[in-house]
Amino acid sequence: MISKLRELYAYWELAENLVIRDLKVRYKNSVLGFLWSLLNPLLLMLVFTVVFTIMLPNLAIPKFPVFVLCALLPWNFFSTSVLGGTTSIVSNGHLIKKVYFPREILPIAMVLSNFVNLLLALPVLFALIVFFRVPLNVSLVYLPLIMIVQVAFTIGMALILATLDVFYRDTGVIMEVIMQAWFFLTPVFYPVSLLPEWKVVRGIALPIRRLTYILNPMASIIASYRSVLYGFTDGSPPAAPAWDFFSRTIVTSLLVLIIGYRFFTHFSHRFGEEI
Amino acid sequence: MAIIEVADVSKCFRMRPDRPRSFQDLAVNLFRKRPHFVRDELFWALRDVSFGVNAGETLGIIGANGSGKSTCLKLLTRIIEPTSGDIRVNGRVAALLELGTGFHPELTGRENVFLNGSVLGLHRRQMASRLNDIISFAELERFIDIPVKFYSSGMYVRLAFATAINVSADILLVDEVLAVGDQSFQEKCLEHINEMKSRGITIVLVTHSLDAVRSLCSRAIWLDDGVLRQDGLTDMVVARYLEHVHTKDEGEARLIREAERSASALEATQHPPPKTRGKSADQATSGSSSSPPQTPPRTEQGASVDPVARHKGRWGSREAEIRDVRFYDREGRERLLLATGEPMSVVISYIAHERIETPVFGLAIYRNDGLHIGGSNTFLAKCALAYIEGAGEVHYIVETLPLLEGTYYLTAAIHNTTDTRVYDYQEFAYRFRVHLGSVAERYGTIYIPAHWKHLPVVEDVAGDVAG
Repeated sequence: MISKLRELYAYWELAENLVIRDLKVRYKNSVLGFLWSLLNPLLLMLVFTVVFTIMLPNLAIPKFPVFVLCALLPWNFFSTSVLGGTTSIVSNGHLIKKVYFPREILPIAMVLSNFVNLLLALPVLFALIVFFRVPLNVSLVYLPLIMIVQVAFTIGMALILATLDVFYRDTGVIMEVIMQAWFFLTPVFYPVSLLPEWKVVRGIALPIRRLTYILNPMASIIASYRSVLYGFTDGSPPAAPAWDFFSRTIVTSLLVLIIGYRFFTHFSHRFGEEI
Repeated sequence: MAIIEVADVSKCFRMRPDRPRSFQDLAVNLFRKRPHFVRDELFWALRDVSFGVNAGETLGIIGANGSGKSTCLKLLTRIIEPTSGDIRVNGRVAALLELGTGFHPELTGRENVFLNGSVLGLHRRQMASRLNDIISFAELERFIDIPVKFYSSGMYVRLAFATAINVSADILLVDEVLAVGDQSFQEKCLEHINEMKSRGITIVLVTHSLDAVRSLCSRAIWLDDGVLRQDGLTDMVVARYLEHVHTKDEGEARLIREAERSASALEATQHPPPKTRGKSADQATSGSSSSPPQTPPRTEQGASVDPVARHKGRWGSREAEIRDVRFYDREGRERLLLATGEPMSVVISYIAHERIETPVFGLAIYRNDGLHIGGSNTFLAKCALAYIEGAGEVHYIVETLPLLEGTYYLTAAIHNTTDTRVYDYQEFAYRFRVHLGSVAERYGTIYIPAHWKHLPVVEDVAGDVAG
């Protein structure tokens, strides 16, 4: 494993170049390229704002655009990275079949280029934060850490799914459906506080809120973003994520990353002949 | 020092027709009753292959299609991994497996050079120092900053090749890429490969072009069905390989030939030639024309692709018939494959159903594209035959076969001296092949047996010294 990592490091520049390639290609064809990539989250934000403040006004979440956007941007990063990462090996089959390089570069580069997109979109979010006068404070220092944790988790997911996609080619299609379900199951456009603590389903009492966090690392990650960038729905200011809660998220994400990497490298030597 | 070491390497491809290729298949399989169980099929692309390549050596890998050459190269590049055995490569490998791999159409030439460099494991700084060489080699000074999607295919290939050879690898793997680009660029590539060779870069070349192997490689290995058959000096290995290919061809051709002969024998018994002995020739002619039209002899395998094979035909009054034409080599063995520069005899066996006065036997040789190479007949050669009756043979003896490598067709005929009467005319009916043998010439139409002599003029020098 150490030698594999060393090799990955030796080829790191390829990852950088692939990220640059992705970004260049994405933004080259139109002057508005960058704005286009912002359009989707901004439009969604607008829709959710209209729905939850005008059409369903009883929710009464303050500064709703910030509330939604600070979750929507990380979610979009996750969703596009995972979907892109899943097909990254198969769609680069021509490269896989012709040149050797550490194959994990491809899903990793996919995640990283989407991460750069997230970074590029942050100024808009901050503009919104300033506009709505969210009282940002020192807890903002946690933001980079939260991002790193999310990148780790996302790369882990992308590695696992990219491997599956090589052997089962409909993984990408299935993931599109799953991502949609995942979006609704993650508190992105609704607050976690809306979830019941307990709910009896067919005679079994389920701790819904806890389960959401335990089973869905994205719920924890999104909640952390919201905690430092927005605060809470009761109007209390941003705060650092609870330590026990956040350390669990870190452990989960690292586990996913390590398992994903091991899983990927265990099968990657067969990619050349499976594609 | 061995820069590449391949030890007991085997590669087995497992073909699993039953394996689900998608989750959909997987789900469908769950609900299906246990399907007929299809066994995995194993395909051994390479078996226990071992060889080493020394630093600075140029190795050619030859073999028929499917012999494992490309698998071998892919193993060296680490695109696939061996099933068993060990491969050790000590140095940076650049593979010219397919040019332009990893070029992105939206990026400019310059950006693609950097991207391609990093695919091959080079750093930006290393690439930057080579950029000018690459651009000038590719002759793309004016176009390097436009997206490669606007490139012509020639520009694309030039840039790709220039990039690939400028990554300063220790080992260059080349797979049939020399067939790209126009003539002058190909020459440039060959020149460059030669230059890299002289710089001490190790080259492994996989190709069908034995010429390329002969001119570039000092050593060659021959793979046959995944097994290493021969490893040694290029000339020896190529010779052994050719010998193998030719004996195999000869064997196949002989089988076809025999099948054809027995078929024509069968045909002869079904449609016996008109027994016209003692009757007038006119009746014989009408008799033969009223018989069902002669089906042309069965075409040999591969013959149908030759343009002349389509014009195969037979006519004549058949008082005398050519029963067969055979080719013999120097030792008097019957062959279908002959060597340039070697003796060859063409034996025409005939049967005359009646006495025919002053017959003329003739033959003509055509290349498979229809070019008439030459021919002769007994009349022109002043080898007059008084008469023929019954069976016999006519020999046409060539001391030095001037034909170069290729496939040839022979037309054989029996007619009278004035050409007013044709007894049997078999156009393009016989086919034989020629390989180069020991003759080194390979360009043009025929081999001219000749030799060179050099006579330097020394008078001037002598004059200078005297003056």
